[in-house]
Amino acid sequence: MSTTSTAHTRNPNAREVVVTGIGLALPGVATYGDLLGPLPGVGGFDLATGLSGREMRHKDRASRLALRAAESALHDAGLTDAHATFTGAADSTAVVVSTNLGNADSVCEAIDTITRAGVRGLSPLGLPQTSSNVIAGWVAIRYRLRGPNLTVCNGVTSGLDALAWARSLIVARRAEAAVVVGVEPANDVVTKMLGEQSTDAAVAVVLEPADAAASRGARPRATITGYARARNLAAALASAGVTEEKSVGLWLVDEAGAGPGHLLVATRRIDLEAQLGPLSGALGVLQCAAAAAHLESDATGNVLATAGGPRHDAASALLLTP
Amino acid sequence: MTRDITGMAAIANIGASPQEIFAALCAGQESRKPLKAFDPDKYRAAYAYEIDDRPEGGGDIPRRATHWLTTVVRQAVADAGLGEDLSHVPVLVGTTMREQRSLELWWRDHADVALEDLHFGTALKETFGASTTYTFANACSATLNALGMATDMIDLGTADTVVVAGTDAATESGFGTLDRVQNDTPDALRPFDATHKGMLMGEGAAAVVVQRAGTGNGPLHARVRGVSMNCDAHHATAPDPDGITRAVQDAYRRAGVRAQDIDLVMLHGSGTPRNDQTESSVLRHIFHGAGPGPRMTAIKAMTGHTLGGSGLLSLLMAVLAMKEGTVPPVLGLTDPIPEAAGLDLVQGSPAAGDLSIAQVDAFGFGGINAVAIVEAAL
Repeated sequence: MSTTSTAHTRNPNAREVVVTGIGLALPGVATYGDLLGPLPGVGGFDLATGLSGREMRHKDRASRLALRAAESALHDAGLTDAHATFTGAADSTAVVVSTNLGNADSVCEAIDTITRAGVRGLSPLGLPQTSSNVIAGWVAIRYRLRGPNLTVCNGVTSGLDALAWARSLIVARRAEAAVVVGVEPANDVVTKMLGEQSTDAAVAVVLEPADAAASRGARPRATITGYARARNLAAALASAGVTEEKSVGLWLVDEAGAGPGHLLVATRRIDLEAQLGPLSGALGVLQCAAAAAHLESDATGNVLATAGGPRHDAASALLLTP
Repeated sequence: MTRDITGMAAIANIGASPQEIFAALCAGQESRKPLKAFDPDKYRAAYAYEIDDRPEGGGDIPRRATHWLTTVVRQAVADAGLGEDLSHVPVLVGTTMREQRSLELWWRDHADVALEDLHFGTALKETFGASTTYTFANACSATLNALGMATDMIDLGTADTVVVAGTDAATESGFGTLDRVQNDTPDALRPFDATHKGMLMGEGAAAVVVQRAGTGNGPLHARVRGVSMNCDAHHATAPDPDGITRAVQDAYRRAGVRAQDIDLVMLHGSGTPRNDQTESSVLRHIFHGAGPGPRMTAIKAMTGHTLGGSGLLSLLMAVLAMKEGTVPPVLGLTDPIPEAAGLDLVQGSPAAGDLSIAQVDAFGFGGINAVAIVEAAL
């Protein structure tokens, strides 16, 4: 965590935290490399087959999407075996979920049922999803992940904030690894709340300390180097340690919402929501996946991911380096 | 390492300050009220522990949880001697429901609610100029999870002062689905009593100001010794003895205490048979052979289950219990369940005691547990 209250000091003893696995459950996008564009627009996650199956029964849509993304990310990180059983340190692996509208459909469906038929009309199986943390619970249960379990519902900056808190849990030695999931489901409630067509989107990344990743031979895709949530983009960049001298090769940004456009003019910019539709709580984690794609490619420079701005309560910035 | 608690505030059905709530707990008068928030014809459960601040003439309004939150944050920072400008102070909010009650009123009754209202950063920005704000939807252990992360921020050197708060208004979807699954409908929340039938919701908010030891200007109310946070990864709604045992032991390790050092336990005590049996059994095991064992109490018997803020509310009551040397009784507890045999549950009237170290339990849906160890300020 970096805050505006204290200078951003780089503690030399602090653990470096890296991305070691990435998984998508995103229609129209097959691999995270596609996020650098142009998007194929076809293929990718198949909602018809991907959200069904025995282990998906009685779960809300957001939880099902999240489970598929987590499965893919853990496999990518080499932390599951041939039976999709988790092989890492389950007692000290955290789950951090970012979502703003994950259970909105369940809440509104329940109140419709009560209004129509009273509580006797409800299904008892709907109890978990009345609580906003349902998704993180299911991901933890699926892989027996017994470390800290967080659900970050923090508006447009949620995904970046969730990554920063996952890093903080590792730096504070509360966790030795973290699965970070950004997810939003498509449904009528979300579409009405957003005022535009909602999209199904889930993305998961696995974070580990750099030394632990190296010792087990995992390939680091990106390092989370700086972060801040602050009153505006300029303050967030300064607190996150993004300065003129730092070479930013890619800026993942909300072009319309970022406010004054004079920042980092020379940088290549990608606005994921302009291409994929509203991503809300999934945005920041998907930006992290796109950042990894850039850092693994031949392109040069670090990656800056930002969300929020003048139309929101704050702006967050995350700096990713090789 | 310890961190100072220098500001405190709370609101619940039985009081609008920590002191009022503590006095009501000690007085021990029945506090449940007939369900007023929702159309009682739709529910089997007839009682709740609501904050009765809705407009005269019935009906509900959005953003009540947000209003309580800004109220307790304002009071807590004033108590700590800080100004209302929180532009340089992180605020960590723990909640079960966020503003889902407002979402319900928007969906069904067309109340004016926007996406930005669902998380609390929007109101904290408007009211206090705060930007480093986080809404953690961590079920009923949310505020103790947030407290744990606040101690991490202080320990890692990213902040000297952090506000930790929690708030929840009852939702129809939550109250209703709980009603649906509780086969034997409770007419009161009776933790650890043989007559317990289940949980009933309350409403409330709580806030503390946590500061690096010795850096504050306000009164020193207590010290945070350590906070654990983990997940059972076992069941979506039922507690698990192994996960709770690990949470308690990890809290002791972080705080540098042993079971025999604990003078007071603020129980999670949600009044569901599963919780009460599990929590009792774990604590019997933990305190076996640890001397006479600590006093124990459970405030949800009078506040109802205030959800995300309940852990922090229990912590505030622990701080006042240590200050006063008095432990409030568990309202309605006359015949403890067999699993609680040997536990020093305070019954009938307040118990006097010299209390230095308190353990605060909070367990939530999704199997997420958090346990805090706080020490009296001397």
